[in-house]
Amino acid sequence: MDQVKISRRDLMSVESPGRYVGGEFGSVIKENVIKQLEETGSCREVRCAFCFPDVYEIGMSNLAMQILYKCLNDMEECWCERVFSPWVDMDAVMRKNNIELYSMESKSPLKDFDIVAVTLGYEMCYTNVLQILDLGRIPFRSKDRKENDPIVMCGGPCAYNIEPMADFFDVAMMGEGEELIVEVTKIVKRYKDNGKKDRMELLRELSALEGVYVPCLYEPVYDNGRYKGLKKLDECAPDKIRKRIIKDLDKVPYPTRPVIPNIRIIHDRACLEIFRGCIRGCRFCQAGFIYRPVREKSPDTLCRQGIEIEHNTGYDELGILSLSSSDYTGLKELTDGLLDAFEGRHTSLSLPSLRIDNFALDLMEKVSKTRKSGLTFAPEAGTQRLRDVINKGICEDDIMRSLRLAFSGGWSTVKLYFMLGLPTETMEDVKGIADLAYKIERLYFDVCREQGIKARKPEITVSTSMYIPKPFTPFQWERQNTKEEFLEKQSYLRSLIKSRNIKYIWHDVETSLWESVLARGDRRLCDVIEEGYRKGCFYDAWDDHFKYDVWMETLHEHGLTWEMFARGFDVDDEHLPWEHIDVGVNMSFFRKEREKAYNEQITPPCREKCSGCGAQCFKAGECYAPK
Amino acid sequence: MTRQVHRTEYVVRCLFERVGDASFVGHLDLMHTFDRAVRRAEMPIMYTQGYNPRPMMVFALPLGVGIDTLGDYVDISLSRLVDAEEFMKKVNPNLPSGVRLYGGINIDEPKNSLMSVVTTAMYRIKAPGIRDPLMRLFEKEEIKVEKRSKGKTVETDIRPLLLSGAQKMSSDPDICELYVCAGSVKNLRPDVLLSALCRHEEYDEELAQNAVITRLALFGGEYPRLLDIKGLL
Repeated sequence: MDQVKISRRDLMSVESPGRYVGGEFGSVIKENVIKQLEETGSCREVRCAFCFPDVYEIGMSNLAMQILYKCLNDMEECWCERVFSPWVDMDAVMRKNNIELYSMESKSPLKDFDIVAVTLGYEMCYTNVLQILDLGRIPFRSKDRKENDPIVMCGGPCAYNIEPMADFFDVAMMGEGEELIVEVTKIVKRYKDNGKKDRMELLRELSALEGVYVPCLYEPVYDNGRYKGLKKLDECAPDKIRKRIIKDLDKVPYPTRPVIPNIRIIHDRACLEIFRGCIRGCRFCQAGFIYRPVREKSPDTLCRQGIEIEHNTGYDELGILSLSSSDYTGLKELTDGLLDAFEGRHTSLSLPSLRIDNFALDLMEKVSKTRKSGLTFAPEAGTQRLRDVINKGICEDDIMRSLRLAFSGGWSTVKLYFMLGLPTETMEDVKGIADLAYKIERLYFDVCREQGIKARKPEITVSTSMYIPKPFTPFQWERQNTKEEFLEKQSYLRSLIKSRNIKYIWHDVETSLWESVLARGDRRLCDVIEEGYRKGCFYDAWDDHFKYDVWMETLHEHGLTWEMFARGFDVDDEHLPWEHIDVGVNMSFFRKEREKAYNEQITPPCREKCSGCGAQCFKAGECYAPK
Repeated sequence: MTRQVHRTEYVVRCLFERVGDASFVGHLDLMHTFDRAVRRAEMPIMYTQGYNPRPMMVFALPLGVGIDTLGDYVDISLSRLVDAEEFMKKVNPNLPSGVRLYGGINIDEPKNSLMSVVTTAMYRIKAPGIRDPLMRLFEKEEIKVEKRSKGKTVETDIRPLLLSGAQKMSSDPDICELYVCAGSVKNLRPDVLLSALCRHEEYDEELAQNAVITRLALFGGEYPRLLDIKGLL
C-alpha cells in the first residue's frame, strides 16, 4: 500500500501539525482492506475519500461529513476516509517537496481512491476543490479523467447550482445524502468489480439514480451572451433532477460515535440535529427552501441520541442543531430530558438558533450556570416594510417584548444582525437599522429605571452583511447591489451610529460581490475559476487570502463582467442555470412569492397555513402533519 | 455516574506514553484529549470550582509538539476511589491511537503538586551521527544559546542544565540518551539543546529538525540520586 510520508521537520514547520496526522478516536480503520492493499496492492472494497475543501478545524465541525462518513463506513463494501485542504503553509511545503495529498486514516494518496467526494457548503470554497485535485494529482476536468482516475463527486447546498464548477465534477448529488451516497457507492462497486471498463457507461448508469446530476451529459446553450438552458448530449440523461430527502429522520443512521478531533476545532462540541427544513419561508434564505419539507425527529429519538453522543464523545457540550430551533414542537420535552440526563455531569447544552422568549430565557438560565452570554437577534432589515418584503416573521414589538424580558432578567449584551442590499431597500430602511438600535438602547435604560436595576453600560452590536441573491429563493432573479451602493449604505449607517453603547460591525463588500457571481453563475465560470486558481487564488473564504482584483481581472479576460451575473435574470423570459434541478419547490411558487414581496405581503409559516410551494411532492414531514 | 465537585479527592497517578502521530498534538490539546477519554470511560473526574470549572488533571511537565514520550506522569483527581488498574483498563480503550496509560497507582492527596517534584528528564535523541557531537557538548565549559524573551534576544548558558556525566554511551552512533534538568525551576527543552548542537558542533540543521526525540522518563530528587516520581508525594 502506498503511503504518503511527511518528515518531522516538515510537520514541525507548519502551524498546528495536529491537523495533518489523523489517529483520532472514532476514526475508522478497516484492517481487512489494509491487509488486501498490502498483499495485492488493491482491494475489493470501494475506497472513498470524503473531502472537505477547507482546513481541518472547519471540516471536522461539519455534521454532514460525520453523517456520511458513518453511512459509508457502515457499508461492508466501502471504506471511507477523510481529506482536508492543507492550510497555506502546508500547501507550500507539499508543493515544494512534491508531496501528494493524502487521507487522514491510511495516509493513502488521493488518486488511489475510487471515489473522491467533496462537500460544498459555501461557494467560496470552490478554489479549494481545485487545490485538493491539484495536490491529489487528479485531472481537473471530468473529460480528462481516465477509467482508473477516481470518480469525483460533490454534494451539499452549493451542488444545487453546480454549473460554475460543472466541468470539474463527474457527478453532483442533490439533496440529503444518507441514502443516495450508499446507492451511488454500490454502483461504483459493480464498476470496480467489473474491472473499471467504461467510465462513461458508469456515469450514465449513475445518472439514472434520482438525485444524481452528471454534468457531462449536458451542454449549455448561449445566445448573445445570454444563457438559454442545457441541451442533452445523451438520450438517457433525465430532463429534471429532483433532490433527495430522507422521509423519516428517526430511521436514518446518526453519528452518535463521531470522530473526535485531537486538536481544538471551530465547533468543539457534540452535535444533535433535531429537524431539517424551516417553517418560516424568509424570502432571502436559501436554506429555508432547499431543505423543505420540514421533518422533525421525535423527542424520544433525540433524547436517546443526545445521551448516547454525550457518553460516547466525552464532550462537555451538546449543541442543538437546526434552522430556527424554537420551531421544534418537542423542544421543551427534549431540553428537559437532556438537562435531566446531564445533571451532575458537567455537560452543558447550547441552542444557537433560538427565538428569544420566556421559554428561551428560562432555558438559557438553566443551561449556562455561569455568566450571562449575549443575546442574538436577526431582524435582517431595519423597517417593518422591508421585513414584510423579505417575509421575516418578526416585528419590532416582538423584539422589544423579548428584550424587555431579557433586560429585566439582567442581560445587557445584544447582537443584531442585518443585511444591506435587500430588494426594494431604500436609505430609509438603512436608517431604520440605526433607529432600532437606538430604541433598544433607550429600552435598556427604561427597563433598568422601571425595575430598579442598576444600569450598566449595555453592549449593543449592529452587524450588517451584504445580501447575495441565491438560487431557489423568491429573489433568485434579483439584481445585487453594486459595490458603490453597498459602500454608500455602510458609510451612511456608520454616520448614524454615534452612541458609545452601540457598536457597528460591517463586512468586506468585495467578498460578497464575488460570492454572488459564483452563486448564480453558469458554466462559463469553470474556466475563470481554474484560471483564478492558477493565478494563486484559494482559500477565498478567508478575507486575508481573497483576491478580488485577480477575480475581476480574470472575469474580464474571459469576456465576462460582474454585471452580467449580478444584474440578475428577467423573471418572465430568461433561463436560470439551475432550472434543470428540482428542489421540490416550484418556480411558480417562487414567482408568486416574489410578487408578494413587491406588494409587501407576508406568507404565513407552513405550519400555520400551507402555501402550496410544491414540497408536498415528497410525501413527508410537515406537509402531512395533522394540523 | 455523576461528576460532582467534592471536597475529598482520590488521585490516580499514571504513567503515560504518547508516540507517533499523536505527538504532533499540542500540550493543551492533549489535556482535552485526556479529559474526554476519562469522561468517555465514565470515570468520576473532579472539576475545579468557580465560573469556569476545569477537569482536575495535573501533568508533570508540558510535552512539546513533536516529542514522543514513554514515561510522563499525570495526576487525575476522582470523586470516589477507583482502583488504578481498573481506571486504566477503562480509560485506555478511550484514548486515541498512540496514547496509553500504564503503571498507575492510587495515591492520597498529594502534598506537593506533581509539577513541583520533577527535576530531571531522560531523553533519547535519534538522528544520523548525533551521538558523538552531542557527547562533545558535555566537554564544554559553557554552551551559549540565544533565547528570545519579551521581544529581546538574550544569550543564556545551557551547560548547567546538562547533567554532566549523565550520558549513557550507546553502541549506535545515531542514538544518544541523556539526562537534563527538567521541571518548573530549571528546564532544558530538547529543541533548544539541538539548536545549540547545530550552533556549536555544526551539526546539520535539517538532520536536527528531523531528529526523533523521545522522553524516556521523568525523575525527582537530585542528580545522580534520582527518585522515581511514583513514590514522591
